[in-house]
Amino acid sequence: MDIISYAAGFAIMAGIYAVFSLGLNIHWGATGLFNIGIAGFFALGAYTAALLTTQPPDPMLFEDFTFGGNWSEIGFLDLGIDLWFFLGIAAAAIACGIIALAIGYVTLRLRDDYLAIATLGIAETVRLFFLNEKWVANGSKGLYRIPKFLGDLVSPENYDYIYLGVVLAVLVALFIAVELALKSPWGRVLRAIREDEVAAEASGKNVFNFKLQAFILGAVIMGIGGALFAHNVRFLAPITFDPLLATFVIWAMLMVGGSGNNRGAILGAFAVWGIWTGTQFLPGIFEDPNFRFFMIGALIVTVILIRPGGILGEERRMAQTVKD
Amino acid sequence: MTNSPPLLQVCDVVKDFGGVRAVDHCSVEIETGGITGLIGPNGAGKTTLFNLVSGAIAPTSGRILFQGRRIEGMMMHETFKLGLVRTFQIPREMKRMTVLENLMLVPAPQVGERVWASWMMPWRVAREEASIERQALEVLELVNLAHLTNEYAGNLSGGQKKLLELARTLMAEPKMVLLDEPAAGVNRTLLQSLAATILQASVDRDITFVIIEHDIRLVMNLCDPIIVMANGTVISHGTPTQVQQDPQVLEAYLGGAVSDSS
Ligand SMILES: Nc1ncnc2c1ncn2[C@@H]1O[C@H](COP(=O)(O)OP(=O)(O)OP(=O)(O)O)[C@@H](O)[C@H]1O
Ligand SMILES: [Mg+2]
Repeated sequence: MDIISYAAGFAIMAGIYAVFSLGLNIHWGATGLFNIGIAGFFALGAYTAALLTTQPPDPMLFEDFTFGGNWSEIGFLDLGIDLWFFLGIAAAAIACGIIALAIGYVTLRLRDDYLAIATLGIAETVRLFFLNEKWVANGSKGLYRIPKFLGDLVSPENYDYIYLGVVLAVLVALFIAVELALKSPWGRVLRAIREDEVAAEASGKNVFNFKLQAFILGAVIMGIGGALFAHNVRFLAPITFDPLLATFVIWAMLMVGGSGNNRGAILGAFAVWGIWTGTQFLPGIFEDPNFRFFMIGALIVTVILIRPGGILGEERRMAQTVKD
Repeated sequence: MTNSPPLLQVCDVVKDFGGVRAVDHCSVEIETGGITGLIGPNGAGKTTLFNLVSGAIAPTSGRILFQGRRIEGMMMHETFKLGLVRTFQIPREMKRMTVLENLMLVPAPQVGERVWASWMMPWRVAREEASIERQALEVLELVNLAHLTNEYAGNLSGGQKKLLELARTLMAEPKMVLLDEPAAGVNRTLLQSLAATILQASVDRDITFVIIEHDIRLVMNLCDPIIVMANGTVISHGTPTQVQQDPQVLEAYLGGAVSDSS
């Protein structure tokens, strides 16, 4: 069935976007960290996983890059379950965590706007790095031959169902982890910082330290999203990480779904991605991507006007003790 | 008087904001125990002194010692850990968190504040949460906010927010609490129970209070000694009777262009 396989492809991308939306929910929804350079972590995560698992360059293909991790071919990991996939994801997560530590350490002590500028800067830096340093990842020609996870298991036309299962499993695991963390006292400190940093300090909390933790955890999740993305599209070029599709759309997802609510973050990802991809088949003006971006902008404004907290707003945490 | 050093020592502290000298070579010592009143006309530098002591801002010059330890220039969470807790003249509540959450935030250290705690030891965190919640509900009872437990703090009235500020300090285990106008906007009938709560905390829990307050009647009844500030420095320090009879105090209140009516 064509429709069903299209739906699987759609759900894979929506699920990957939902991972980013969860990451942004830690940054912005819980802590109030204004990360407007999601594309940077997106690209870094995707390239890290791709470079480590792709085969070394082939001179016959005039490839410029000099390095391929080739993890997918390494024997000792050949346990029949494509362990390299998880190692690539872990490496992508660690790479994003380290970059977040560096940016956060420098900017999170300063006024809020410095983080915004720094994240915007890192997104552009990462993009230009992969564009200009051709030896790293083949520049604008892009990195292809990125391997499929469990690719030998089924025929290519049925592969999407396998990968959809993988993406949903990762999404559910991350959802549970983030939900637990944000509902815990740790998450309560983050929300206190979002509401009033000075009051959080006066309540004895090391605001800088908690902000750094939140920034790193969110970035790690974005790195995982990037890795999942790389093995889905299996072709990466700097142009893939366009700020509109790799930053703005994710913000739209969180705003529409409900900032501060993990379920909302996921719902928003599916809703916005559904509107974005669904409308491209409509005739006339909808064929213009700029118009569809405009439409998403209008959607955000409409949702914010009707339900300022998003479709599912942040939940109020009630006392557990039942009073008699 | 014992031989132990004063709990808090402010030594020749200066704080400039651009051209404005908010605190001007101010020195003051506060002994352990009791409730000290800090009064003075508007703009005398009282709040600025609290900001300096708590670590919200760093002094331009001078030294501040808490239990004999230098604390000037520390961050607020560091002075908090030493047992120094303050409230704000203009309440700073976490608006989109409930009253209960505002209080449950405070106790330290909490195992659950480690990011992995909810993954690795959820039951331990749950037990800790239950006990913190019990403590918070008791404190809410004490400050007459129990009926607002699950309300968003941002929806409280001005006076209720003041009570929440006081409640926050009672959730910590402080040695010294700095209250900036705890009674402002709190109604007359609640005032008595507010004073009783502070008195009880100071006796039962060995908390040393310093209270900035414009309500002279409350100060005279609750506080001893009383410190009077004007123009960024201490102009009088003594028992309520001594302070009331000090001509400099009258001069400061009546002589200033802006005098305070209460
Ligand atoms: N952040 C700041 N920047 C500039 N000037 C300030 C700042 N904080 C305080 N001041 C100035 O310092 C002086 C003392 O202010 P402060 O708030 O300490 O007075 P106060 O004694 O608490 O008065 P009130 O009883 O009205 O609360 C005032 O002249 C005020 O304008
Ligand atoms: Mg003041």
